[in-house]
Amino acid sequence: MEVLNTLVLAVLATGFLMVSRRSLDAVIRLYALQNVLLALVSFGLAQGELHFVLAGLALFVLKGVAIPWYLFWLLDRLEVSHEVEGYLSVSFSLLLAGLLIALAFRVGAVFVLPEAPLPQGVPVALSLVLLGMLSMVSRKKAISQVLGFLALENGVFLLALSESHGLPLFVELGVALDAFAAVFLAGVLIFRIKGVMGHVDTARMRALRG
Amino acid sequence: MLYGLLLLPLLVFLGRRDKGALVRLSVLLPILSALLAPLLLGQMAGPFWLDGVGLFYLMLTDLLFALIALFARGYFSEEEAWRFYWAGGLFLGAAHGAYLAHNLGVLWIFVEGSTLASALLVYHKGGARALEATWKYLMLGSVGIALGLIGVILVYALLSGATLDWREARALVGSANPEGLKLAFALLLVGFGTKVGLFPLQAWLPDAHAEAPGPASALLSGTLLNVAFYALLRYTALMQAAGLFPFASGLLLAFGLLSLLAAGFFLYGQKEYKRLLAYSSMEHMGLAVFALGLGLPWLALFHTLAHSLAKTLAFLGASGILALSHAKEVGRVGGLFRSLPALGVPFVLALAALGGLPPFPLFFAEFKAVEAAMRYPLLAALYLVGLGLAFAGLLGPMTQMGFGPGRPWKAQELDLWALWLLLAVLFLLGVRPPVEVFQALEVVLWTR
Repeated sequence: MEVLNTLVLAVLATGFLMVSRRSLDAVIRLYALQNVLLALVSFGLAQGELHFVLAGLALFVLKGVAIPWYLFWLLDRLEVSHEVEGYLSVSFSLLLAGLLIALAFRVGAVFVLPEAPLPQGVPVALSLVLLGMLSMVSRKKAISQVLGFLALENGVFLLALSESHGLPLFVELGVALDAFAAVFLAGVLIFRIKGVMGHVDTARMRALRG
Repeated sequence: MLYGLLLLPLLVFLGRRDKGALVRLSVLLPILSALLAPLLLGQMAGPFWLDGVGLFYLMLTDLLFALIALFARGYFSEEEAWRFYWAGGLFLGAAHGAYLAHNLGVLWIFVEGSTLASALLVYHKGGARALEATWKYLMLGSVGIALGLIGVILVYALLSGATLDWREARALVGSANPEGLKLAFALLLVGFGTKVGLFPLQAWLPDAHAEAPGPASALLSGTLLNVAFYALLRYTALMQAAGLFPFASGLLLAFGLLSLLAAGFFLYGQKEYKRLLAYSSMEHMGLAVFALGLGLPWLALFHTLAHSLAKTLAFLGASGILALSHAKEVGRVGGLFRSLPALGVPFVLALAALGGLPPFPLFFAEFKAVEAAMRYPLLAALYLVGLGLAFAGLLGPMTQMGFGPGRPWKAQELDLWALWLLLAVLFLLGVRPPVEVFQALEVVLWTR
């Protein structure tokens, strides 16, 4: 249990750091690390059940390796600066992140179900969801919005793990596949956005109104 | 066999990039599915099971898809046709999966899959506006549906991780913690409601529907919105099985009414007719959700059927107008009724149908909803205000485009008979609404 506690706290730390970093490379590495930690949580909960091990492995391969690799490749090909551009300063983002985490821990108590196998994971999962949303609305580069979505999605994964031993394996795999397809599609779109508009700044995409 | 039905739409990829083959496959495969589906009613295979409600939406989607695919033949050029038909095949596959799913998790996977496939439809030709619309759609749709997934997880956890299977869940849900279920339903409503286009989660909808090429808009409005609505139907039935319908009803009524009123306001001052139609989708999905909230699932089902037909007709008409006039604004299109009746008459009548005029089926549906809402006079009054707003919003463009000043054009090789076919079906449904069929579907939805 000690180990799981530490792992869950480490997951929270990666989520918090992802909001504060100013370099996209660092954010992607933190995301990869987060997935490795989540895979370990999944192994830790396994207690001999095969489907945890498989879900953890799939997570590790798909989200810990393949998606970060794809994002790095994308970033190199795009030839844009690797800096995170946002509407908020670092200190203000951190303050907001702290508030959101506090909120998640406050509300998390309501979300914890009586039979949850990992109750301490629930508020952390909610924190990741809220922090992911914060990244999505406060950042300008299309690629950092994708990273926000991915962090949010990890929150949902951790919630499934903490509340109910994870979803059935085939559902879990379907969800992961959807996430992977979404990221791939987003990558293709980002290329087109760069090609057509010459930038990847979603704040400057405002032709459609009303 | 069910797996076969699931994979059938993907055979469209056999057509490669040959437009003729793609059209034939895209028309024949859904017709084949629609013919095959009734034979598979009640069959089960793994997480898939086809019941009456699923069959209804599956056949509706297939038949509309075949019609739209045929119409699109004259709309897309040789070079760009494959994008539409390939993305369409993926989308139809995802829709099949959603209607065949008999497992809450699998349903979620296919609803998200339909979002991804339809993003390709929105994107189609690219360009700054389409890219912006697609990006918004992908991001908002994915976040919305992720919230829905939290709801799915909560339901699964509340059932003690026993099952996500539909029938088993219905049997078990009575003993689940009601407070937890309420929370889960609220999240599910926000999640799937984003995709249904409920206010205030509709931000992606007008952009996506307006920027997609015409036949794709028809698919989005006529068939895609139903996929998410279908998920809401299932979860409302689950709440009902848990004895929590009054709670679900309150939320559904509120969201439905808000969407109706918001759409009524948005319809004003819309200069582009495709955006107008998009807001009208928001209005009608709101009305369907409202009917569901009134505890009349049959009426909600009937409303989505009437809306799908009328909106497909309107968007196909709109894509015809856009192809001929190259004008997106209402003010630059006029006199359709007399200068080009083959296109103008069905299009203007589609707007009338969407505005809720008799003898079209949406009039009947709205009338029935007001009748039922009379139990709560305030609700009925707001409903009527919303209807009035929406009708007035459509009336101006309808008169301008149908009878106003404008240049006449010549029809290209578009399959305009498809519009007349839809119009005839609408008329028949309005004159003789098959209420018994929908009440039988309601029994299936509510009790099985």
